[in-house]
Amino acid sequence: MMRREHFFVLVTLCLCILGVVAVYSVDPLRDEGFGPKSFFGRQVLWNAVGWALFLLFRFSDFQWLFRRSWLWYLFSVLSLGAVLVFGESDETGAKRWLFSRSVQPSEFAKLALLFFLSSYLSTNRDELDFWSLLVKSAFFVAVPTLLVFLQPDLGTALVLGVLWFGALFIGGWHKRKLGLLLGLFAGLSPLSWFIMKDYQRKRILAFLNPWKDPLGSGYNVVQSQIAIGSGGFLGQGWLSGKQTQLRFLPARYTDFIFAAFCEQFGFAGGMVLLTLFILFFWIVLEVAQRVENLEERLFAALFGILFLFQVGINVGMNLGIAPVTGIPLPFVSYGGSSLLVHLAGAGMIARLIWRTEQEERERWI
Amino acid sequence: MWNERIEERIHQRVAAALWIGIALFVVLSARLWYLSVLRGEWFRERSERNRVRVVFLETLRGNIYDRRGVCLAEDIPRFRLVFLVGSSDEKLVMKRIREILRRDIVFSLRERAPGELVLLEDLPLEDVVRIEENSEHLPGVLVEVYPARKYRDGEVAASLLGYVGRVGPEELKVLGKMGYRNEDRIGKSGVESFYESLLRGEEGYRRVEVDALGRVVQVLDFQSPRFRYSLQLTLDWELQRTCYEALGRRNGVVLVGDPATGEILAFVSKPSFDPNLFSRGLSLKEWLDLLEQKSNPLLARPTQALYPPGSLFKILIALAALEEQVVTSRESFFCPGYLEYGNWKYLCWKRGGHGRVTFEEAIAESCNVVFYTLGLRLGPERIARYARMFGLGQDAHLDLPGVKTGFFPTPEWKREVLKEAWYPGDTMNLSIGQGYLLVTPLEMYLLLCTVANRGKVYDPHVLWRVLDENGKVVKEVKPSLRRTVALRPQTWDTVIRGMEKVVTQGTGFNCRGLPVKLAAKTGTAQNPHGKEHSWFGGFFPSDRPKFVFLVLVEHGGDGSGEAALVARKVIEWILQNRGV
Repeated sequence: MMRREHFFVLVTLCLCILGVVAVYSVDPLRDEGFGPKSFFGRQVLWNAVGWALFLLFRFSDFQWLFRRSWLWYLFSVLSLGAVLVFGESDETGAKRWLFSRSVQPSEFAKLALLFFLSSYLSTNRDELDFWSLLVKSAFFVAVPTLLVFLQPDLGTALVLGVLWFGALFIGGWHKRKLGLLLGLFAGLSPLSWFIMKDYQRKRILAFLNPWKDPLGSGYNVVQSQIAIGSGGFLGQGWLSGKQTQLRFLPARYTDFIFAAFCEQFGFAGGMVLLTLFILFFWIVLEVAQRVENLEERLFAALFGILFLFQVGINVGMNLGIAPVTGIPLPFVSYGGSSLLVHLAGAGMIARLIWRTEQEERERWI
Repeated sequence: MWNERIEERIHQRVAAALWIGIALFVVLSARLWYLSVLRGEWFRERSERNRVRVVFLETLRGNIYDRRGVCLAEDIPRFRLVFLVGSSDEKLVMKRIREILRRDIVFSLRERAPGELVLLEDLPLEDVVRIEENSEHLPGVLVEVYPARKYRDGEVAASLLGYVGRVGPEELKVLGKMGYRNEDRIGKSGVESFYESLLRGEEGYRRVEVDALGRVVQVLDFQSPRFRYSLQLTLDWELQRTCYEALGRRNGVVLVGDPATGEILAFVSKPSFDPNLFSRGLSLKEWLDLLEQKSNPLLARPTQALYPPGSLFKILIALAALEEQVVTSRESFFCPGYLEYGNWKYLCWKRGGHGRVTFEEAIAESCNVVFYTLGLRLGPERIARYARMFGLGQDAHLDLPGVKTGFFPTPEWKREVLKEAWYPGDTMNLSIGQGYLLVTPLEMYLLLCTVANRGKVYDPHVLWRVLDENGKVVKEVKPSLRRTVALRPQTWDTVIRGMEKVVTQGTGFNCRGLPVKLAAKTGTAQNPHGKEHSWFGGFFPSDRPKFVFLVLVEHGGDGSGEAALVARKVIEWILQNRGV
């Protein structure tokens, strides 16, 4: 029987390969060779670095990461602060980058917060399900979330918030408290309308009815659905999607890569991707059940939730059932920061799988 | 207080998260199925609409030829720049075009169809080449070939051929149902308008695949626009030109035709305009200039302008008087230079009087006194009856748009409209073609045709043959007899003899000495706005007429000198070049 770890590596590898395939298909510099300047070339390069990280964490004990989680937390808060001060803007005018647009600190903040939350909650395990710990953790999460929100990057801010809520959920807070929090959030969210930027409001409206303004604010959503829909069952074939190749589809490398993929490989291809995603999620949550250590369990479960939420929002917005927020599709979207973070996380999960398998075997012996 | 309860709950929560993940998986898969399989067809069609742009190509119009095959109007290719809105920044594109063509340009920015702006029209070839060379810097800009109407020596036959204009948004409300698009060309007057349905061809289209920037990736298919029919007119271009030039700098009308068939050989209206101006698109100022000119060049004078016929009308009085036997060809009259009636003296145009004149001499000399007398003998009712018989004030059945009819006054009309009685003086004025009577030159031309044909009236027409794409004749217009005015042969003979004497010994002295037997009549139309209009019309050879002609010179002045001189040039040209 195939070992769980191998299966996990295989699933992750498949996702990365499909990602490279997808990036290749939308690469505008495809015909000019695959130098380091092409999107495809860079994605391959990031994959190489990412898999090196994967192996690093797979073969080394990463307990020290939990012990120094405060350091990662402070570091990410500082770098997010630096983004606001020294950061460079992208096309939308949002400041999200450092070091001449090579590093996106908000991606690394996800991982840092992951360690921080699992470490913080397990250190204070006696206070789980207590209002006091909820409030304290809320404060710690609020700081980086706010910094990300100010960039503005609504999507990542949402991811960080969800990470916190996921931590409370996994951490065993009573469902009445969680329900109260959700109610509070639902009650206050209409107020956020007033602090949103104009383009954010437009996106919300466009989500509610994209066909009202298909060439304006609804353009992304409409073109993405057209791309997916015109793929049909088996797709138009690799490199031949009209929406993608004629560049009607916006953000083809990043946010809407799922649509570009589906136009070429159809419903079947989309289902392959979705199945790989759910398998990945399944394995991660399964190992979360198996590990003995609380902080590792929280870590694994939160990593799974982080992954699931990003997939859900990204694919959802591609399919027109979630609002457009700049959340990349893990492993598939073009982009180094996201790929490194997720491959590093996957490496750690792989180590946990390996270790639980070792422990189980020892128990049998 | 870490306890078993919390630990158990954490296990449950992780399991719950797994179920949430599975539920999400199901929802996303279902949505994916819905979009790509259930509604795939609809989205594929959307995608087609995204990438496929259909550019309609304007229809071609058929050519117009004269009776000898000279091309009078044809479509020639021109170039224009079209910008596909939204494919790039139009301000930037315009800036670049200015740089490429190295001059300052005023862009028309006309929205031809949704999302398509016309930037420049009538582009010279060298500019087209420059634009094409730089096309990669001009996303969304297309060079388009379009047909423009070209008229041979525009002014010579403008009122006959007419001109084409573009369908505007207002007209589109009606014409849209007939298959016209915004900015399509349509005949606005003359032959272009009357035979619009024959001249208008079929539109073509070009289906192109464009990328998100509107750049053409490839042409999917192409259907070139075509014309269906060309027209061959009865017009004789060289004759038309001769007539036009014969008028010189004077304004007026020349009509020449064949009385036996109704064919119009020349149709000149002056002042004229250049219909080629309309093809390239008239500026507002040019259009207003045309409209505001007092001489009104857009008016097709032969069919649309009204004049008093003057002495030309005496032909009709003479015919009526003979036929009604209120006079015989042998009767002689005395003209002292005036006719006394009641307390009034009605003057002849010759102050000293014509003395003793026969009936035929009265025609030749156009003696007013004789015709006052004949008019009084006939009375207004009988004159009106003959006018009706000859078709005055009735539809001329000419194949041109906007043909007007003249006005023939009757005692009933005067009573009802002017609330006045009809006086004998009115009858006398009518007898010499003055007073309330108004005619179009075409009506006078038809009167001459009737005399030339001794009563047979054929429908005048300018279309001779309809040719298909390959030049094959698909329809030929045959002479069509409208009516026969049945008068006694000697009536016709007497009047025609009188008209011959007009030339040989009468008022038509300017046409004396031509090597052909010519029957004609002069006329002077009093004009309250200035010098009198001068008429001269007739036919030749008078024993078997082949040509009928009518000349009107506006403000030609006293007598018929001017008009007869013009006619003489035309007749001489015909005798020399066409023979009789």
